[in-house]
Amino acid sequence: MRASTLLSEILAVLAKELTAELRSRVALNAIGLFGLTTLIAVAYQIGPYQIQEQDRPHLLSALLWIILFFAATSGLSRVFVKEEDAHTAKTLRLAARPIAVLGGKYLFNLILLLALDALIVPLYCALMGYAVRGVGGLLLVLVTGAVALAATTTIVAAIIARASGSTTLFAILSVPLVLPLLVMLIQGTRAAAASSELAAVLPALQGIVSLGGAVMIVSVYLFPAVWHD
Amino acid sequence: MTDNRTRALLHWVLGGWVLLVILAAFFYAPSATGFKGESARIVFFHVPQAWVAVLAFCVNLVASVRYLRKRNPLDDVRAAAAARLGLVFSVLATVTGSIFANVMWNSFWNWDPREVSIAVLLLIYAAYFALREAIPDEERRASLSAAYAVLAFVTMPFLVFVVPRIYWSLHPDTIIGATGKLKLQMESRMLQTLLGSLVGFTGLFFWLYTLDVRLARVRLARRGREEA
Amino acid sequence: MSGVSVEFKRVGKRFGDRTVLAAVSGTLLPGQVLVVAGPNGAGKSTLLNILAGVLRPSRGEVVYRGSDGPVPRAHWFEHLGMASPDMAVYEELTALENLHLFARLRGLHRSDADLGALLEELGLGSREHSRLVGTYSSGMKQRVKLAQAVLHVPAVLLLDEPSSNLDGAGHEATAGLVARLRERAAVAVATNDPREITWADARIDLAL
Repeated sequence: MRASTLLSEILAVLAKELTAELRSRVALNAIGLFGLTTLIAVAYQIGPYQIQEQDRPHLLSALLWIILFFAATSGLSRVFVKEEDAHTAKTLRLAARPIAVLGGKYLFNLILLLALDALIVPLYCALMGYAVRGVGGLLLVLVTGAVALAATTTIVAAIIARASGSTTLFAILSVPLVLPLLVMLIQGTRAAAASSELAAVLPALQGIVSLGGAVMIVSVYLFPAVWHD
Repeated sequence: MTDNRTRALLHWVLGGWVLLVILAAFFYAPSATGFKGESARIVFFHVPQAWVAVLAFCVNLVASVRYLRKRNPLDDVRAAAAARLGLVFSVLATVTGSIFANVMWNSFWNWDPREVSIAVLLLIYAAYFALREAIPDEERRASLSAAYAVLAFVTMPFLVFVVPRIYWSLHPDTIIGATGKLKLQMESRMLQTLLGSLVGFTGLFFWLYTLDVRLARVRLARRGREEA
Repeated sequence: MSGVSVEFKRVGKRFGDRTVLAAVSGTLLPGQVLVVAGPNGAGKSTLLNILAGVLRPSRGEVVYRGSDGPVPRAHWFEHLGMASPDMAVYEELTALENLHLFARLRGLHRSDADLGALLEELGLGSREHSRLVGTYSSGMKQRVKLAQAVLHVPAVLLLDEPSSNLDGAGHEATAGLVARLRERAAVAVATNDPREITWADARIDLAL
């Protein structure tokens, strides 16, 4: 198996995930519904008027990421858990290189996260009256955040799928790892909202990119041991 | 450490040392100025507890990496033993830090980055054991928990070093962080006591760790599956 | 793909205190069919899983030998095709989509016609090829499973109860497939079916 086919193998896995997901829509529904439900609950109770002006920057950026993370944990583990549940994991294990499996499933989770962002963020800004000065900066934070968050949640999903596969276990294992990332994402969002200068989000971006990169590199090393017995 | 008499001697030395440290903490070291009453004395216990929690994390990491490479069941035993102690000591460190914070500033939690770091370490240990509990098969349990430990180790530096750089400026400077980094000059007797306590707690850790590993080794040997 | 032989020496498996496979040795040679027989619970599936590299043995070793020497464990799957009751294919995909996926994962280009012909050889009519596997009967699913095991013409073929869920025609088709492949491949079949046992060039009997 030559290296030139690795990309095609990764894309084959991704295509399979997308096809299956578009036909069943289980993960999409889960994260979409969770995200929307939480958002509506928050917007209804808090809305644009209940928060004091001086608290708005802190609270609005934190609340957004709480909603996004909560929704993400409800659906991002499916990509591995469903393989074990449907007994297709062994078939896949015997047909594909581990790195192709990891790459394809990572890209799938990334797409899910970006879709979640596209759904929730504009609605959030509208419902909560969140005025964002640096839209470019915010987009950068959202995209790099999705890249890093997908990296962490994918390897954790791979681990828990070989354990009990429960969403609770997924959340328990993800939280300590995602905390530093969330802090940087909230800080980056706050900076983007406050200033239209791209330089304002730079410190947070550096942290997010390096954490995401570190997790990705370690995942490539760890995944074969997790995926195979 | 194969000689039983050497072992017994070391136990007595450790016991005596820890007793000395306790006495020194209360009677030898002077009261610190700027602190409420005698509350600063908790530093002599709190700092070493946090130190041991981190040390245990490192021991766990080394054992985990070794397990992933060689698949020796003994390395999994070592990793779990280190993690058990790490959990206990990170609970102790969080609690003693919290008590001190309450005495000094009337609030149990201040969101100091170091406080958060030790709490996250606690969460990592808890997650590690939750994962182990969820896997009945021994070999799979060993490799998955080793993988999680390595992953956690990679993300920790970001919490300890990177986040404070971003977050620090938004919070009031504390005089004494949760790991007891005193910004005041430490009087020499206090320093001696603190260093002595660090040595004592490290010795305590290694004693308990070795006990745990020896016990598990006997169990493994009895099952005839030990690979030397 | 040149021939690969699989040698296993004193291979056994234990889960905790329970021995699921007692030490067994043997060889899979190209051009031969090794039948692994024994009562339920004797460890037939466990042995096949160990030979596939999906399970690590508690003792003993497995060696894949190709024309260039021993094959590292990480590369065994490239030479291997397997079908067993604990494996499934993707129910949200059609039979053809499943086979295209597995072909692409192995770096192969197969046309619809080629894959369709393979499915027909196994008794799946062309009308069924574009239906989702989730709508299939268990016999039809078994045929797709067998197809994915052989589409890359593996040097090593491991079949665990290949005729399960299959009617007489299905069994005939499977027998024909094995007859075709056994010329070049090293085949191991775990079974209690007397019809499949007749395929044997060599036989291992496992006891409880």
